[in-house]
Amino acid sequence: MKGIRMVIVDDSMFSIAVIKNILEENGFEVVGQAGSLEEVKAVISETKPDLVTMDMTLPGTDGLECTRAIHEIDPNIKVIVISSMMDDEIVKEAKESKVSAYIQKPVDADELVTTIHRIMASVELYQDLTNAYPLVFKEALLDAVNKMTKTLLTYKKESIPDEEFQSRGLTVIIGISGKFSGSLLIDLSKETAFQLVGAMMKSEPKNNDQVTAALGEFTNILAGNACSLLNKLNKAYGLRVTPPSVLQGDGVVIARPNFKTTSVLADTKFGEILLNVGFARGEHTWM
Amino acid sequence: MDVKYINPFVDSFLDVMPQLGFSEVSRVKLSLKQDFIYSGVIILVGIVGALKGTVVFRMDTEEAKTIASTMLMDTEPRDLDELAKSALSELANMITANAATNFSNQGVLIDISTPRLIYGENVLVKMSTKQVLCVSFLCDQVPMELNIGIAPK
Repeated sequence: MKGIRMVIVDDSMFSIAVIKNILEENGFEVVGQAGSLEEVKAVISETKPDLVTMDMTLPGTDGLECTRAIHEIDPNIKVIVISSMMDDEIVKEAKESKVSAYIQKPVDADELVTTIHRIMASVELYQDLTNAYPLVFKEALLDAVNKMTKTLLTYKKESIPDEEFQSRGLTVIIGISGKFSGSLLIDLSKETAFQLVGAMMKSEPKNNDQVTAALGEFTNILAGNACSLLNKLNKAYGLRVTPPSVLQGDGVVIARPNFKTTSVLADTKFGEILLNVGFARGEHTWM
Repeated sequence: MDVKYINPFVDSFLDVMPQLGFSEVSRVKLSLKQDFIYSGVIILVGIVGALKGTVVFRMDTEEAKTIASTMLMDTEPRDLDELAKSALSELANMITANAATNFSNQGVLIDISTPRLIYGENVLVKMSTKQVLCVSFLCDQVPMELNIGIAPK
């Protein structure tokens, strides 16, 4: 784990000294401190830390307002609340404000250090998954088309879509759950679907039901294969796929989900197939 | 499809919606479907574990705008913009996650995927189960549908 840069938010010099001492003794780098909302905004913008420890009671503000201000600057910064007050209601509010963990004062050094390590391990794991998954899913689609139709495909374009897009006519959606949940969809025209399924079955599909059933299974296989491979890379992902749903219609729009996805456009013998897949970072992962 | 699978969802719906700003939430109808054709907003959430399948939330476009506006505490009518779609996805996520907790209290462990939202006219939706239980709700007079297509592993 690389050097972890931290900021301490507290209005008590005593608490700052205690927390700073624990952090530095355990090899973390304290890059700043703050005691008010204005100071929080200034210090976070300037230092861009990996992680912040946050007091709940602060003059003129509170820990949750400061947490929201931090996430407005950078949603990837993790916040651990360290407060003398702790009850179910406040912990629930903290979770809702995307705090990663809640620790009660007086701070136990082991508890704080373990919590930081757990949070940062999760950040690293997500980064590893993000680096690995586009290639794995591309290989899985290529492999599925190749094995089931004995044809090849070429990838034309890879992008991280920042807006919604129009369906080509037929969309198969598969959910993914695990350490990080996500989803996969493939989108193609009805003609492409008909021809692809025809090649898979080595005969012309009899009806629409046959096309959607075969396409659901095709997507299920490709998603299952890709997730198995990712789990082999790191079993901590624990990815599992949910059954496929098939949507059909003219002028259907697929909204941009609340997480980053990757789209790749494949040129196949049967026409274009769009593959769109991504995983949520899991801001809500509670330690 | 077993009716006992619907209570954790119904309880979750009745529990979560009031927290999002709806004062009167009630279940109005239960029906059985196979494939269905929808217009409006459709949000899918996948389920794996002891039960497998998909839950589909559905509402008309105008109703979707009203629901998003209530969640976002708008004072003026809202379009189906990015924020509205994000709020509706989060709504589907919260209700399904809460239902998963209700299932786990009965010893049934399930996990959920991230929601995907799509919208359009006359969309044919085919879920993995043969039959789908459709529960309709009224949230401050706004109708909303929950289609549950899950089965034991």
